[in-house]
Parts: sequence; C-alpha cells; structure tokens
Amino acid sequence: MAGISIQNVYKDYGALNVLKEFSLEIADGEFVVLVGPSGCGKSTMLKILAGLEPASGGKIMIGDRDVTDLAPGDRDIAMVFQNYALYPHLTVGQNMGFGLKMRGMPKAEIDRRVRAAAKILAVDHLLDRRPKALSGGQRQRVALGRAIVREPRAFLMDEPLSNLDAKLRVHTRAEISALHKRIGVTTVYVTHDQIEAMTMADRVVIMRDGAIQQIADPDTLFAKPENLFVAGFIGSPGMNFLRARIEAGKLTLFGQTFNAAVGVGAGEIIVGIRPEHLALGPGDVTFTVKPTLVESLGSEKYVYFEPGEHAYRADARDEERGKGLIARIAHAGPIREGEELVLSFNASEVHLFDAKTEKAVN
Amino acid sequence: MQRTTLQTLSLYAGLAVVCGVLLFPIYWLFVTALSTLAEIRQLPPSFWPAEPQWSTFAKVGTERPIFLWLWNSTLAALGSVALSMVVSVFAGYSLSRFSVKGGRSLGLFILTAKMLPATLLVIPLFGIFRSMGLIGSLWSLVLAHATLIIPFTTWMLKGYFDTIPRELEQAAMVDGCSPLGALFRVVLPVATPGLAATALYAFVLSWADYAYARTFLTNAQGSWTANLGITTMKGEYVTDWNEISAAAVFIALPIILIYLFLERYLVGGLTAGAEK
Repeated sequence: MAGISIQNVYKDYGALNVLKEFSLEIADGEFVVLVGPSGCGKSTMLKILAGLEPASGGKIMIGDRDVTDLAPGDRDIAMVFQNYALYPHLTVGQNMGFGLKMRGMPKAEIDRRVRAAAKILAVDHLLDRRPKALSGGQRQRVALGRAIVREPRAFLMDEPLSNLDAKLRVHTRAEISALHKRIGVTTVYVTHDQIEAMTMADRVVIMRDGAIQQIADPDTLFAKPENLFVAGFIGSPGMNFLRARIEAGKLTLFGQTFNAAVGVGAGEIIVGIRPEHLALGPGDVTFTVKPTLVESLGSEKYVYFEPGEHAYRADARDEERGKGLIARIAHAGPIREGEELVLSFNASEVHLFDAKTEKAVN
Repeated sequence: MQRTTLQTLSLYAGLAVVCGVLLFPIYWLFVTALSTLAEIRQLPPSFWPAEPQWSTFAKVGTERPIFLWLWNSTLAALGSVALSMVVSVFAGYSLSRFSVKGGRSLGLFILTAKMLPATLLVIPLFGIFRSMGLIGSLWSLVLAHATLIIPFTTWMLKGYFDTIPRELEQAAMVDGCSPLGALFRVVLPVATPGLAATALYAFVLSWADYAYARTFLTNAQGSWTANLGITTMKGEYVTDWNEISAAAVFIALPIILIYLFLERYLVGGLTAGAEK
C-alpha cells in the first residue's frame, strides 16, 4: 500500500487542454473519488495515473517512487474498468491469475491467491467458467477479484458500477466500501454519479472542464460548496438557485427581507437553497407558492413551483427541472397542484454566490 | 410475427430455387465427371449417367499429376496466407488502434491496391520476379498473391479489431503485458474467429488464382498449381470433359471441406464486425 502524489499534471491534445494543472495528495489507504460530468477529465486523469495515457506535464509519485514515465505494468497498481475488461478467452480463475502469471509467480501461489480472493468475493464456485457465462454482477466481482488478487499498492476504478442495474449498483457500492475497509488499499475511484461519490469516498474531488472545483469530504461538500457548480452538482435533487438583491447585508427574497451574510457588498447575488431545507408551513422566512407539479415518492414529496422574478438560468440545475424550483417535503399530507402552499426556510441555511464569479461568498 | 402456411411455403419455395441455382453447377460438374463422353454430348442431356464412371477419378489421379498440382496449390496458398496474415495483423491492428497524421488516408490508400485489376499488376510483377530470379518458383505466386490479399485482409482485420474493446489491452498492460504482449496474449486469442475468416478468405483467393500462375509458372511444369494444370488437360482436337470435371472436383474438394470445417468461425467472424 502507498499514498499517491499527483503534482501539476496536465494533458493537452494539440491545442485542446483536457486536464488543467491537476494536483492531489492521497494518503495511504484513503478512498478518493473523482466526480464530474462527462468530459470533465476525470477518466483521463485516472488513465494518466494508470500509465495508459501519457501526461503532457507534471509528476506522479506512488509511495516514494516516481512513476510518471513507467509502463502501467511497472506501477504496481490494479484497475477495474467500466466494462470490466475480462479476458473472454480465459476462465474466471485464469482471468484473476493473469496479472500474477505475467509477473512470473509460481502456479501454486497463483492458485492459492486466486482461491483466497475468489472466496472473499464469493465467486469461488465460478472459477472454471468463462466470462460470457456470468451475470453482470458476477463479472463485476471477478473484475474486482482480478484487482485484489495482485495485492497492489493502489486500486484504480473507472466507473465500475455504471453497467449494473440500480439495485445491484447499491448493493455492490456497499460491497466495494466494505472491501476497502477490509483490505485498506489506497483507492482512486472515478464516477459521474454524485451519490456514489458521496457514499463511498473519504474525500471527493469535483471536476469540471478539466479543472478541480473542490476537494473535500462529502459532508463539507454538501454544507460548504465553494462555487455554484459544486453546489448544483452535489445533492439530489440539486440545489435551487435564485437571483436576488442584497443591500446593506439584507437580502430580499419572495417579498421578505432578512439578514444575510456579513461583508457582502450591495448588488445582485445568487441565492442557493437546498430542496430539503424548504419546509411546509411558516418559519424563519415564509412565502406562498402555487405548485406546478407534485411528485410523491411515498415517504416524501417533490413540490415544483415557479421562481417568479427570482428566476436564475436553467442550466445551473437538473435539465428536467427546467426553470422550476423544488421543495423536498418529508412526511407531507396531500398537496395539490395549483393550490396555494405555504413554505419557509431558515435564513442561516441559504448559500450565497457572487453573481459574476459564481464563487461562494458566505 | 406468425407466418401463414402460404408465406411459409413461398419462403421455402424461394429458398429451394436459390439453392437450386447455386448448387446446380456443382451437381452438373459431378454428373459430367461420372458420365461417358457419349452421354456428355447427347441431347437431351442425361441428368444422371446410366452407369456412373467412378473410374474417371482414378484415371485422373493416376494418369495426371493432379496431386502434385494440388500440393503446389496448397503450398502457394499456405505461403500467401501466412505472409498476408502476419502483415495484415500488424497493419490492421495499427490502423485500428493508433491515430497518426494521415492514418485514415493511408488506410484507404492500401485499399486502392485492391481496386487495381490483377492483370494490371502482372507485367510489373513479372519484371520484378524476373530480376529476383523467382520466375518458375512458387515463391513468385506467394508474393504475388500476397499483394492481392493483404489490402483486403488488412481492412477485414481492422474492422474486427475495432470491435474488440481497447480496455482489454489496457487491462492486460496494467496486468504487466507490453503493448505487443497484450496483442499476442489477449487481442489475437479474442480475435480468433476474425482471423479464421480472414485466413480462409486469403486461402480461397490464392487457391482460385489462374492469371498469376499462368504468367509466372508456365515454363516450370513441376511448380504448376491445380488451376494451371487443369487447363493443360484441354487438347487442341480432343477434350475429355469428364476427366476435366473429375479434376475440377478434386480441386474444389479441399475448399468445400475447409468451408464446412470452419463455417462456424467464418460466420461468427464475418458477423462480429456488424455489432457494436
């Protein structure tokens, strides 16, 4: 096992800069998730880390070894791919032992390690099967087994759950977390799914357009997003954004004026309110809306309503939500579309972002 | 969708007609080989000889060097298949995996060689082989056939390699293989159906050649291939069509057997490129 140090790594394809000055220190045994939308550079970073793509510049250390120019096989890492990349012409046992065989390990030792890893992942009864005879979940386990059998210094995982159905994904997510706790190998995990990132990571690296937006533990990311992108990306449903004015530290929203962050100058500002911070009935700041759509999930309801004069650009939120705002109301009684509804929020729970830089100001 | 009886009957009738059209020449070749010369020339023709002349096959096998011709054809075909496959595997893999400046144009340029008629290349090839001292040698055929085969097999294999996920090689490299090791240990074993289909295509192309053999081997009887040898069986005044047909059956048989043996791979290999 070893820590990983990524120092000012960047990647250019001609004039196109797909990864900008990426620096990250990963502690020994830490589980770090790189997350971001498609094309943000997270998979490129992982491939550079694996040695499958050369970096245009920068340095990568695994433990105390500079691996920047080493071949993938010499980095002592194991990788789990999105499509599992199991060798279709080999049996499960041969797949898992392939890396050890390449390293010239004696057959008896390969067999011992493969059986031990297979037992951990409950695939020991499948060792003689070919990958095509396995289910998606079993393939996933074999891919994990191929990684752990090597006992590498670090695991790299490239969206390993995205080919599984929703139920199996949740199950396997928990299994990977448990496996990490059990064997404690430094892990770098790439996903576009913020729920995976939040539930599995010790620390999350949020990326956009090849640049790091914020590095923090999941709770900090949720509570203190550093910019509008992070605020909108983390949380499900995503944060509501509204355009409002602030004068002398007082914010006017839905006809109510209340104290906002200290030290914010007068002018236009973007206000962020998480859907779960909107409550039914009067509270600190109370306002009335007419729901345009109500979705019931049983234990909670998603109430959509128009932002009116506070409308902010739609692309800052989930596409399907359009311009609407959303309140996530737990254990609510009947709520009807078009009928007036009293909602409220706590002034201390609003997030403020600079309208120009989109950076958090409170 | 459920087919009606009429639709099913029409379908089978259509298939029977197509199969009949395709198989009739082979049947007629066989019937001609088994007929006497008188039966061959009679009108209306006989669709099955009164007394099948099985001895014609034995006669051709003993009185003509048919097995030497077949052996030469086999050597030339195996040689061109081996040479073509080695070149095509590397060329097709490179075209599939590595993006170089002008790579696409280069790939298409390779294919233009296939667009030229074989007869156009005969004269320059003859000049080259003469200066190399290869005229009359089977090596001339091996090299000439390779020039015909390689452009097409390169593209066939490129198409096949395109369907193999890159992650397989990447996984192999993370597991400790060199890029070449990943090709030999993972990509080629996975590509076996594609390789079998391509090799069979190459074999058939070489086996079926007449023009090159006629040009490069005419004065070397010991190197004649089956297709060249069979043309010498037609006399100026007398032609034993039953013997020629029997020889043709001998020549067609290896290809038919190989097709039957590799059919499973062939169909898998040719259709695999269609799915993404």
